[in-house]
Amino acid sequence: MRLEFLEAGPALLVCRTRKVLVAADLHIGIESDLALHGLHFRSRSHDRMKRVLACVEESDPDLLVLLGDVKHTVPLTTRQEYRELPGILEELRKSLPLRVLPGNHDSGISRFLREDELLAREGALIDGTGYLHGHTYPDPSLSGHLIVSGHHHPMVTLKDEVGCSLRAPAYLLADVDERCLRMNAAGEEASRQTRVLFIPALNELAGYDIGRTVREPFSPLSRCMRTDDSEVFLADGTFIGPLATLEDYGDDQEP
Amino acid sequence: METIRSLDLAVQECVRVRGFSRLSDVQAQSIPLVRKGRNLVLIAPTGTGKTESAMIPVFDAMRGHPGGGFRTLYITPLRSLNRDMLQRLAWWCKELGLTVGVRHGDTPQSERRKQALSPPDLLITTPETLQAMFMGKVLRRHLANVRYVVVDEIHELAAGKRGAQLAVALERLVEYAGEFQRIGLSATVGNPDEMGRFLCGARPFQVVSVPVAKHLEISVDFAGDRFEKQADWVSREIDRHASTLIFVNTRVTAEALGHQLFPRGDVEVHHGSLSREVRIEAEERFKSGAIRALICTSSMELGIDIGRIEHVIQFGSPREVARLVQRVGRAGHQLEAVSRGTILATGFDDLLESLVIADRAKAGMVEEVTPPRNAADVLANQVAAMAVEYREVSRERVREVIGRSYPFQVPGPLLDEVVSQMEEHGLIRVDGDLIRSSGRSRKYLAGNLSMIHDERKMSVYDMVSRKTVGTLDESFVVGWVHTGAVFITKGQLWRVLDMEDGRITVEPARKAKGELPSWEGEQIPVPFPVARDVGALRKSRDFSKYHPNSETLRFVLRFLEEMDRNRSPVATDTEITLENAPEGVICNVCAGHKANEALARVISILLSARYGTTVGIEIDAYRIYLRLPPELRSGEVREILLSLEPGHLEGILQLAMKRTALFKWKLVQVAKKFGAIDPDADYERLSIHKLTDLFESTVVQKEAYRELFSNYMDVGRAARIVSLLREGDISVILSHLSILGAEGLFSSRDQISPPSVDQAVISTLKRRLDQQEVVIACMNCRKWKSRTVVSRTPDPLVCPICGARLIAVLKPWEEPLLAQASRRTRSEEDRAVEVRLLKNANIVLSSGKKAVIALSGRGVGPENASRILSTLAEGDAFYREILKAERNYIRTHRFW
Repeated sequence: MRLEFLEAGPALLVCRTRKVLVAADLHIGIESDLALHGLHFRSRSHDRMKRVLACVEESDPDLLVLLGDVKHTVPLTTRQEYRELPGILEELRKSLPLRVLPGNHDSGISRFLREDELLAREGALIDGTGYLHGHTYPDPSLSGHLIVSGHHHPMVTLKDEVGCSLRAPAYLLADVDERCLRMNAAGEEASRQTRVLFIPALNELAGYDIGRTVREPFSPLSRCMRTDDSEVFLADGTFIGPLATLEDYGDDQEP
Repeated sequence: METIRSLDLAVQECVRVRGFSRLSDVQAQSIPLVRKGRNLVLIAPTGTGKTESAMIPVFDAMRGHPGGGFRTLYITPLRSLNRDMLQRLAWWCKELGLTVGVRHGDTPQSERRKQALSPPDLLITTPETLQAMFMGKVLRRHLANVRYVVVDEIHELAAGKRGAQLAVALERLVEYAGEFQRIGLSATVGNPDEMGRFLCGARPFQVVSVPVAKHLEISVDFAGDRFEKQADWVSREIDRHASTLIFVNTRVTAEALGHQLFPRGDVEVHHGSLSREVRIEAEERFKSGAIRALICTSSMELGIDIGRIEHVIQFGSPREVARLVQRVGRAGHQLEAVSRGTILATGFDDLLESLVIADRAKAGMVEEVTPPRNAADVLANQVAAMAVEYREVSRERVREVIGRSYPFQVPGPLLDEVVSQMEEHGLIRVDGDLIRSSGRSRKYLAGNLSMIHDERKMSVYDMVSRKTVGTLDESFVVGWVHTGAVFITKGQLWRVLDMEDGRITVEPARKAKGELPSWEGEQIPVPFPVARDVGALRKSRDFSKYHPNSETLRFVLRFLEEMDRNRSPVATDTEITLENAPEGVICNVCAGHKANEALARVISILLSARYGTTVGIEIDAYRIYLRLPPELRSGEVREILLSLEPGHLEGILQLAMKRTALFKWKLVQVAKKFGAIDPDADYERLSIHKLTDLFESTVVQKEAYRELFSNYMDVGRAARIVSLLREGDISVILSHLSILGAEGLFSSRDQISPPSVDQAVISTLKRRLDQQEVVIACMNCRKWKSRTVVSRTPDPLVCPICGARLIAVLKPWEEPLLAQASRRTRSEEDRAVEVRLLKNANIVLSSGKKAVIALSGRGVGPENASRILSTLAEGDAFYREILKAERNYIRTHRFW
């Protein structure tokens, strides 16, 4: 298996027998939610779709997997989503087959998808790799595989001596405790190695500090990962090192 | 006399009753002009009958041409001035059979309704309320009758965005009322014509101005640099006059001085953070003569009437000529009387600055007021206002109306940029040439009638006493406060340990360096020309034209002689000295606050880029203090300074400022005024970094830079210093730390240190530790434990069951550890817990009560406790060690 990090997304290309392009957390419709909270901006959905298409162009994949939170508003579907989603999905479909692992923001997404495009919330195994949005316990069938997951919007903060910081989308790779994830059948010993790869959100407004996810885990996967030998990569695949190298977890000194 | 006789008979009678047997110069000049229908700017010190000069002919004309609706608008910048004006003008109106009303934010609904039904002839209001009046159909109809608009304290309004907004509002008024007569009343400014242009746009106007100098009698005094001495001096001065107004520059000083003088029983304090009732009472007591002195901040500068003032004391340099003239102008309060004022200088910088400012005041060299031009957020605000006012309006009409106002002449491409930004965030809709209001515009407008930024308050939490000690304005915090910063509030020094969730955690600080920011942005910047003159005076040492008294002169000369004796070169207007200080380099540059701020930021960003190090900066009007690692000395700073190009400063600053909290805060403020962010927006939704990214290269970002570079720093003047350096007109000299360089560093001017903060901190800590609840448990028999507080723990601690002295002391939340350590089958982790508990008990065994106290400190475990105990510190030193450990804990464990 080979992984390619596509910075233009950010998105991930997983190659085994087929080439699968994975993009997570588009959050189409985020602008109307922000507006509801007093922050008004134009919709940038189209730019986001263009970035996915640029990755398609660049990597020529056989399949596109959207790793959940394609839409933003729960539990309703907003006017912005009705307006934008059909066109965006159709545009993507035109280039290649599409699969969606529904996320916690995807209530009502089925009306925008064809029947075969919607996969299970608990994840799916495609060409030997597990895919899962990341807010649920994974299906036991993913055990022993690499699980690619969204939902966590990982982002790192790097500081240099002068104190300037780089805040960038990142990938986090970690072993997970299968028992903790309830992936073993009763009595079965955990023998296989299951790992999770959290991929950054395609939506540029999303981003959650990795350090905080580790300190205050908020999902089965983040609670059950072993952080001691986890690894952090930037969106272009640059290896940053184990979590421990990010000493200062991008705290919020600025108000 | 002739002028009076030409007036309406009833008006003549009023003038006579009011005792104006003779017209003042201002009145004699201005009344005929107003009567002739000229637009007029009237420039005179407070108390020379400006209001009457404007209003007598206006009353005269109103008598001559009766009619309905608001016929005259009298606009002032403050509600409190509105009330004052109402009192003053109500008498005239009653005598003349005219109606008068006041309308501003506090006006009750019933009164508003009355005004809508039968509008008063004269309406006293604020710029913001005028904005609101355009939103109502009925009020708009009444506004169509306006013939006169009087803008009071126009210098105050013109200097800011409120003024730019008002200037547009006047043009919007023309759309209903047609051309009306404009009268501006201003304190003394350096550029009266600019005030006229601001008021009238391209229309003709005339200026009537009273020369300042002949009304002022200003002296400078010095009473030593100790605060008690200075307070004694003030006390003596109060005795010498019937009534005295004492101006100070900060609330902290007002409080401190008040504290010293209260025992006299005839002094009150008046400043902005006191409640309105307290302030009004102080004003009344002063007016009635119940007290003979009032200590006040700029709260008293504007023309609120508090009766006769014989003498004005300015405590510390007034920093600006305009401020001095305005403040001293409060004295004398009778036509053509001389205003007497004395500046009490408090140190070397302060004294020279005071001499220069007093001299410039006598020469009439008052600072210019620069109205902001093309402020994009004001433009957005007024575009939205017009969209709501007309529901749909052509872009051309907007361009025409706004373009008539002085702050937006030729709004051309800016208007288009602003309109498309507003359309993008849905504040207006654009349809070809038409601008329409959107669902959001009315709500936006209702929340943004004012260009004054509403400030959130952040609470300040003292880690030592574990109490909230006060609040700070968000702007002050974002601009000045960062982890490790020292600032003043409540008359005390504080160091910032942590900032989160709208709360600042601080500890009392002992030593202050540099001129400290004190709360709520009371910093008054010293203007460039004043700082240059001070530099020139340091060079010439010729004080003859300043007429200092002998004690003052002796102090200055002694200071300079000491500089010479120490072979310390004195920085002047043509010499910059770079002095190596213990923790950095002091650049003595006589360029004023704003130019120094710009220079300091440029130098620091270049130093940190070249040497990869963090540079701390502190500035005042005469020096820049760069905190540097030991390997960087004055030589390196000189190299950077000499490599600067005047044309590059702005570009460097744009890069440098982009990452700063100050810029981000400014950006958010501008975005709010643009309607892209609602006043009550939930920032949790989006990090401030993403937020600033979203405005990258928009007109919002451009405006944030424009404001930053004009209000907070003076890039132009900084560039001038750099040019002078390049041309060799300013030279750079390297030197050792001098008393002059250290002056700003160790004797902050606006700061009064309380007696021994250290002592106070320690005693608070002792109190807290004494009351700390603890769980004591025997680690020998493990059968006994008890809950108590530190002060009640016996010394030595002995287990009542087994008699052993192996007792662990835990904080209540650590109690579960006991069970963990005593489990029958113990995991590795449990073992480790047990080891720690035994260590804890051993420390208590060997050090007794001291160990109990140390262990009750926040975040102090056995390791920290044994480190503290191993210092063998006793008494206060011991507590200081605990304090250090707690501080360290807060810093390193901020997420626990």
